[in-house]
Formats: sequence, C-alpha cells, structure tokens
Amino acid sequence: MSIAAIRTLRGRAWQIYEQMGMPTPQQEDWKYTDLGRINAALGDNWWKPAVPERSIPSLGADQLEALAIPDLDAWIAVFIDGRFQAALSDLPEGIDFAPLMRLVIDRPEQAASMLEVDKRMPLFNGFVAVNSALATDGGVLLLKANTVLDRPLLIRHIATRSGTAHIRHSIRLKERAEAHIVEHYCGIGEAAGLTNTVCQIDLAAGSRMRHDRIQMEQPCHYHIGRLSVTQARDSQFESHSVALGAALSRVDLSVELAGPGAACALNGLYLIDGRRHADHHTVIDHAVPHCTSREHYRGVLDDRARGVFNGKVVIREGAIKSDTAQSNANLLLSPFAEVDAKPELMIYNDDVKAAHGCTVGRLDTRQLFYLRARGLTEADARQVLTFAFADEVLASLKPAPLRRFVEHAAFSRLFHEEDAEEMLT
Amino acid sequence: MSEAVKLKPTPRSFAATQYAAGFVTEIEQETLPPGLNEDVIRRISAMKGEPEWLLDWRLEAYRHWRTKREPRWSMVRYPPIDYQAISYYSTPRRKGDGPKSLDEVDPKLLETYEKLGIPLREQEMLAGVAVDAVFDSVSVATTFKEKLKEAGVIFCSISEAVRDHPDLVRQYLGSVVPITDNFYAALNSAVFTDGSFVYVPKGVRCPMELSTYFRINASNTGQFERTLIIADDDAYVSYLEGCTAPSRDENQLHAAVVELIALNHARIKYSTVQNWYPGDENGVGGIYNFVTKRGDCRGVGAKISWTQVETGSAITWKYPSCILRGDDSVGEFYSVALTKNYQQADTGTKMVHLGRNTHSTIVSKGISAGHGCQSYRGLVRMAKSAENARNHSQCDSLLIGDRCSAHTFPYVEIKNPTATMEHEASTSKIGEDQLFYCRQRGIPEEDAVNLIVNGFCKDVFNELPMEFAVEANRLLAVSLEGAVG
Repeated sequence: MSIAAIRTLRGRAWQIYEQMGMPTPQQEDWKYTDLGRINAALGDNWWKPAVPERSIPSLGADQLEALAIPDLDAWIAVFIDGRFQAALSDLPEGIDFAPLMRLVIDRPEQAASMLEVDKRMPLFNGFVAVNSALATDGGVLLLKANTVLDRPLLIRHIATRSGTAHIRHSIRLKERAEAHIVEHYCGIGEAAGLTNTVCQIDLAAGSRMRHDRIQMEQPCHYHIGRLSVTQARDSQFESHSVALGAALSRVDLSVELAGPGAACALNGLYLIDGRRHADHHTVIDHAVPHCTSREHYRGVLDDRARGVFNGKVVIREGAIKSDTAQSNANLLLSPFAEVDAKPELMIYNDDVKAAHGCTVGRLDTRQLFYLRARGLTEADARQVLTFAFADEVLASLKPAPLRRFVEHAAFSRLFHEEDAEEMLT
Repeated sequence: MSEAVKLKPTPRSFAATQYAAGFVTEIEQETLPPGLNEDVIRRISAMKGEPEWLLDWRLEAYRHWRTKREPRWSMVRYPPIDYQAISYYSTPRRKGDGPKSLDEVDPKLLETYEKLGIPLREQEMLAGVAVDAVFDSVSVATTFKEKLKEAGVIFCSISEAVRDHPDLVRQYLGSVVPITDNFYAALNSAVFTDGSFVYVPKGVRCPMELSTYFRINASNTGQFERTLIIADDDAYVSYLEGCTAPSRDENQLHAAVVELIALNHARIKYSTVQNWYPGDENGVGGIYNFVTKRGDCRGVGAKISWTQVETGSAITWKYPSCILRGDDSVGEFYSVALTKNYQQADTGTKMVHLGRNTHSTIVSKGISAGHGCQSYRGLVRMAKSAENARNHSQCDSLLIGDRCSAHTFPYVEIKNPTATMEHEASTSKIGEDQLFYCRQRGIPEEDAVNLIVNGFCKDVFNELPMEFAVEANRLLAVSLEGAVG
C-alpha cells in the first residue's frame, strides 16, 4: 500500500459523493433537515477545505484561554480548522496517538482502512464520502490491552475561518482498556464555515469508554458530525451528545452491539435558541443476544429553534434477551419553536424487552404555580424548571469541571449570565 | 357487525377453522375483461349510468394516477402488481335495474351471506342493524331503508346516492381524500364501483347501527369501494364494516377509500372488522388491502372515532386518520392488528391537529406470530394554530415466536408550545409467569394464550359495540389457533 493507493481510494470516495450528492429532505433520514442553508451560506463548493494552502492558523493565548474548560485536568489534542496542532497539544507518552496526516505517510495501510468508504454503514450519506475523500487530519488513538487512560483526552476542534474542516478520528480500545474522550467543538469569529467530522470507535472485549461530544460552535457555523461505534463482548459505552451551538447541526450516532453482554447508554441534550436547528439521528443495532441499551435524549427549544430527534433501535433475529429502553422529552419555550421526533423500534424476535417513550410539552403550570406561591418571580420559576429539565441529562457528565462547564454554557445561552452563575452555585 | 364474523369454529382440524369464509359462490357474473384505460372507465361509468361530472372526475383521477408511482416506503414486501391484469368491474348478472327489495335478490346471493352469518332477510325482521351488502363490485342489498327514511337518514349504495342525491355526493366526494392524495386513492377514484353512502341530517341520532358487508367473490378482480359518511350538525352515527373473500392462490387487490365528514358537534363512530382472506400458512394467496381512510372534523366539537380489528389480508396498508380542524374536536383511533403465517401489516393513524383544544387518543395493539411482520406507523402533527391540543398515544406489540417481527414508527411534529403530546410504546412476548399462572390453574395453554391476548386487546375491544366485541374476541381466537405452541 502506498500513498498513490490512498489517492485512488480518495478518488473513489469522491465519485461516490458525486453520485449521491448532498442529502435532500426527500430522503427519509433528512425529512426535517434542509441543507439548503449550508448551500446558501457556503455555496455549491461547500466542501472546499478551510485551509487550502499550508498556512498554519495562529491563535493568541488569550483566545485559547477563553475556549478552555476551567479546572479540567485532561490530556489535550487541538485541531484548528481541521489541522492538528502539535504545539498546542499535550498527549500522554506510551499511548499511540498519531494525527491522520502522519499516519498516511508512516502507516498507509492503517490510513487506508480508516478512509475506506463503507456504504453499509447505518445512515450512510454523502458527507461521509466527502470526508473520506478530503479529510485533512484527525486523531488516531490505539489503547493497548489492559491500559487505562489516567485522564480524559480532550479533543478540541476550533473553527476560525470560512470553508470546511473535514476531520476523521479513529479510536480503538483493545481488551479491557479504558478511556474517556471529550470531543469539544468551538469556534472564534464570524466566518461561516462547516465542520464535517467522522469518528469511528472500536471497542474490544471488556473495554470501557465514556465519550462526550460538546458542540458549541459559533452561530454562523454549520456542523455535520458522525460517531460510529462497534462493541465487542462485554464492552461498555456511555455517551453524551450536547448540541448548543451552530446555525444547523446534525449528528448521526450509530452503535453496533456486536458481542454478547455489550451495553451502551446514549444521552443527549439539544438546547438551542434563535433560528438554530439541531438534528440527532441515532441507531442502536442489537446484532447478538444479551445486550443492553439505554437512550435518553432531551430537547429545550426557544425562539424559532427547531429540534429533530430520530432514535432507531433494531433488534435482529436471534438477538434474544435484548433489553432496550429509549426516552425522548422535549420542552418548547416559545410559540415559534418546533420539534420533530421519531422514536423507532424494529424488532425481529420475541424474547426481548423493548420500550420507548416520547413527550413534547411546555413547562408544567402547576409546578410554576408552586414556585410562584413560594415567592419566586415568574422568570425565576421558569429558569429553575428549565434548568431541572435539562440537567437530567447533564448531571451525569463527569468529571465535575466538565459538567460545570457544560451546564454554564447551556444556561447562559437561555438566561442572563449572572442568573446562570447563580443557579449553578 | 356481529354478523360479519360469525365464524363458528368447530372442533375439526385447524386448517378447516382457520378461514371459514374461504368458499366461492357459483353465480353467473358479468365481468369486464382485465385491463385499465380511459375506455374501461367510460364503460364503468356508462354501465352505472353516471352523470357527466362524475365521469370527468374519474378520468381526471385516472390521468393523475398514471403520473404517480406506487408507494414503496412501507415495511411490506410483495411482487410488483400488474394493474393491467386486473378486472375492474364484476357484478352478479341481473336484469334491468337493481333489486327493489330483498325478494328480488338472487337467492344464491342471500345464501352466500347466510353462510357468512349475515342473514339479510332475518336481519330485516329481527336484529337492529341495517346492512348494505357489497358483492364484488356492486351493492346487492340494503336493508332497513324504510325505517331509516323515517328518521331522515340516507343509507344506500353510493351508486344510488349519485342518482338520488347528486348534490350531496358532489359536494363531499373527494373533499377529504382528494384524487391527488396517493397512488391507491387515485386508482380508487378512477375505478370505484360501489360502496356505501350515509347522510345523517342535523340533530338526528341514527336509530340503529349501520353496517356494510364487503365480499370479494370473482377471481382476477379487484374491489374498489368508496364509502362516504356525512354527519351534519349534532348528528350521531355508528357504522360497522366487515369483509371476507374466498381462499385463492392468487393475490387480489382491494383498494378502498373511506371519507368521513363530521360537522358541528357531530359524532361518527366507525368500526371495522377486516377479515379478508389472509393467504395460507405458506404465504400463498391472500388479499392486498391498500386502503385510504380519513375523517375530517370540520365543525366545532366534532368527534370521529376509528376502531379496527385487522386479522385478515396478506398485506394491510392503511392509516385511518383524523383531521381535527374544528375547535374542541376529538379524534380517536383504537386498533388491534394480528399478523400470523406470512401476513404483513403496515398500519397506524394520523392525527392532524389544526383547531384549538383538539384532543386525540391513539391506542394500537399489534400481535405478531409465525412469520408475521407488523408495523405501527403513526403521525401526530400539531400545527401552530393548535392551541392547547393534546395527544396521548400508546402502541404495544406482542410477539409470539422467534420468526415474527414488530416495528414502531411514530412521527411527532409539534409546532405549538401549548400542545401536549405523549407517546409510549412497548414490545414484549407473552409473559412466561402469566402463562405459568394460568396453566397451574388448569387452563390449557392455548386458552391461556387467548386469555392473555384478550387482556392485551381489552382497551380496544371495549370501544367496539358489544355484540361486535364478542365476535372480535372469537375471531382473534380462531386466527390465533395453530399460531401458538
């Protein structure tokens, strides 16, 4: 395998994109998300990488400081506009972490297997193909058997200019390894850009992973993200996907429970205001017996925001003793907000436990009355109840500095900075 | 509709009891040759002596149908249908006009209905249910006309309605399900041959249950009936519908359209027991049941309630829906669907809330056994104008056996923050502890399963008129025979 071979592979991926094009609302999986906004903002060549020449973007120390998560003791890998920044990163020794670009040169076979386009992937679409064709950089992490990453690994993506950042991560945990990954998406400035990331996670038998995805990009930015997880026997995966920013964001999250005893818990919060649009599509595939899945997504929608949630759980023929429960709750705070939810169950055998629930509503008037009767102002009462609703998801974020950071970001979006401050202390 | 499902199970083999309505009536029939084009539609229209406007409407529907593609989004699989191989009109041969009374009806036909447990003649004397019997393409008899006339209720076949009440038909036909609605609705609009028409005038409570019984008899035909029910201000009507067909190795198409219109404070209750031939245990034959049913609560405080028990058909594709246009209107959907052997069902409902304070309830119970494949597909849409709208949906599936499948696809689209929507769904098998409990008390396994299934469906059966519920229970038990154990 040579670099030339990778070039052919990327060429094929590009052809697949040219055949498929961008998803349209006529496609069932994109019924509620119109990508016309991306075309309008970025033009037909929306895929053009953000940094065409080899110029290294630079950020001031104070700018970086403003984006940091206070008090979080973590390893860190920084990507600016889709390029890995070794100087800003701090990575553990003995852990095999290589940015994709170096991998292409050093170990092309591995790079090729990462970039291979698999059309059978759940929710496959043109963005994945484009990502394979154009991915500029990304993290490749391999954790050997029985190793435990002592601190969370924070992967920060900073968008600073217009154009698209195509990022490809691959994280593999060998037997009984443990890791906590935090993907943090943020940005600076007013330039309209797009983040198109693909993260593939492969968990070997007995391994455990926490994965948190915090998306708080600038209001002029667009975000297309994908997380594909494969779990072997007795592995555990817990994820949080929090969408607070971007003009339009879409996250496709798929988990394949491929070994008996595997368990996953997917949590999510989309808390958006303005004209933002946040779309989460999840697929949990119970391919083998004795697997467990839990899913809990909540939405808080203010102003003219629109939230989309589609959670699909498939239990295959022969996957007996599968246990799945899914819940989706949505809170509409404004007369112009909208939510479109579709919790799906597809079950192909009888020896299973499966349930899902979905609710949409406003704040409970009786609860509001209770708080007002105890002297809270209307606005305060609403804040308390909204906070309590959303915190059901955020409360399970770990460690505490990360939780505080996300809670603060979420609530200062909806309320005055001081109020959020007060609520959280 | 108790009469629709009196399938007395005898203690003979399962094969004999499984589909008791599977016989063929030897009767002279007049059938149009297979194929569909504008001339066929003109002939159907001419044979029925229809006015010009209806022919034009049919032709417009046909032209639209030609531009449409068959829907493929549902979770049902079947080989492509050759729409040119179907005969679009079949009628028992008769002379001159239709029968004036039951005495003029062919005794063979009466016998058929008697065999099915629908004694039209006795019905007229004893039971309090008015029946419109539709045999293949045409309505053969409508009972109780006189008594209904006294109350001012119009209950007749739609062909008669076109002749006798053209203004009403013209005003409402296609106003809920337009010809452009979907592929099968367009086809139905082009070729529909008969069906029932009900008009309940202002303030009238229909004095008895109305009922239509549909029977497919001829082979190579499709049945395309059209039902139109209008309840004027403050009126009430309860309508029951039942269906059967002979056991044949070929698949037959049934594409009906039902339109309900409820004006101010009117109430319509529409119950269906669908027992078309489901095909044999290897999935050969059976009816393709592609039906569009929709109710429009046009007036303030109107209420439309759908109750369905779906045990038949090789493939079911139907979504009885409510458009809650009037303020304070109410929509309800109660469904039990059973798929066994190789039956497939993709069914559910749509509740479209447009008016203020509109309420809807969805209770869907699916039972899947053998290689059955069942999907609940529902939509709850609350428009910006739907202040204080409420919906509660519950979809439960019961799986029997490890080769069957059950799917849930609820679509939720909410644009108003004062709306409240709750959806819950669960999928499980028959509890081993429940079975054990029954067995321990000396109840044979098959009876225990029936008991548990009946309990599972109770919420829906409670909505059926009483005698109908008893029959639905029995039908379910007969259908489940052989599926368990």
